[in-house]
Amino acid sequence: MRALSFFRRSPLRRSRRNEPFGTFSFASFCSDNADAPQGSRLKIFDRQLKRKQRDRAAWLMRQKDSLLDTVAENLLDRLEDCKKTFPTALCLGGSLEAIRRSLHGCGSIEKLIMMDASHEMVQLCKNAEEESPNDNIETTFVVGDEEFLPVKESSVDLVISCLGLHWTNDLPGAMIQAKLALKPDGLFLAAILGGETLKELRIACTVAQMEREGGISPRVSPLAQVRDAGNLLTRAGFTLPGVDVDEYTVKYESALDLIEHLRAMGETNALLQRNNILKRDTALATAAIYDSMFAAEDGSVPATFQVIYMTGWREHPSQQKAKRRGSATISFQDIQKQFGSQS
Amino acid sequence: MVRMSKALLQKAGPLGKTLTEILVCPLSKQPLRYCEETNSLISDAIGVSFPIKNGIPSLVPTDGKILEEEDTSKPEDTANSSARYDENRGRNS
Repeated sequence: MRALSFFRRSPLRRSRRNEPFGTFSFASFCSDNADAPQGSRLKIFDRQLKRKQRDRAAWLMRQKDSLLDTVAENLLDRLEDCKKTFPTALCLGGSLEAIRRSLHGCGSIEKLIMMDASHEMVQLCKNAEEESPNDNIETTFVVGDEEFLPVKESSVDLVISCLGLHWTNDLPGAMIQAKLALKPDGLFLAAILGGETLKELRIACTVAQMEREGGISPRVSPLAQVRDAGNLLTRAGFTLPGVDVDEYTVKYESALDLIEHLRAMGETNALLQRNNILKRDTALATAAIYDSMFAAEDGSVPATFQVIYMTGWREHPSQQKAKRRGSATISFQDIQKQFGSQS
Repeated sequence: MVRMSKALLQKAGPLGKTLTEILVCPLSKQPLRYCEETNSLISDAIGVSFPIKNGIPSLVPTDGKILEEEDTSKPEDTANSSARYDENRGRNS
């Protein structure tokens, strides 16, 4: 019934590209924020800057972006696996437009609410909707922040987030709010970028900075690891959690094309602790190192994008669950006697 | 007066029925009220107004403007709008 399932690992086939993560930055964040008054409110990303970057991305965005389209289709494909229908759906920031154009009636959505923190991005979707409306779907638009979800409790059947949540400072908090917005038995579907994303770029940046500046600063943001995704779902209180991972390798003509694509996706560096100055020779050295370390024989440079897909349900009595401990009436030894000889 | 503000709420301004039903204040998660005069959504619980641009409500906390008590009762029709404000407060609390 709700057999969305998991743990498959399909090593790439398509090409696209993606975004940054920089593990090396973590230690400094922790110490720098230790005395911040908010305590657990660790601020890693500059959300205001991210809004501006997404405003700009709305103008740079390509009509068709194969990476975003593939991720959106893969995510929406999961709806086909459910018998349940989702009359009201909330689509959170990230690749909004890719989700909208990939919907094709998945999950019999009747009302779609699209939300992003960037007004330009929402406006872009609204214009696109006016040009090529999705049949039978009443689409509405809101500008809102995933960390402060302006949605009434138990009001939507489905929450989709396509490549947006990795920019939240408080990912567990955002997921808890998404869970609260869901009706009982509602589905949460999210795609986030994982820690393997842009590993080539991270290496090239580090080497170039060491060489030219004698030290490193975070250029690629810290991203969740696969094992974190499952913990996040459980911590947010979703039932029947599922996580799976896909890796896409996108080929670019040069490292500079990669950066252009990141800009068009609004996925450029928005770390609070970023170094605001990027020296020209460091940038060129990064491109050169990227090229010499990772270029393929045909001269193209690959970039890895790891996408973690998460599914979780809001709890409902109709869902299957484990029986109480100690409630079993048959011993495992008996089971082994019955079936053990076959194995 | 009661009928009038009810009508205001039902009409729900430029936002469709769906949004009116679903949107709440992002900070307090309390209901929002549409204000025709300023074309904004007002959260009475925390006294903040959120703008509506081009038919798209903007509910990012940093876009909200804190309302001064005086602002809710515009000088032109002080009695009228402050009464409406009080009523809505009563209903929401």
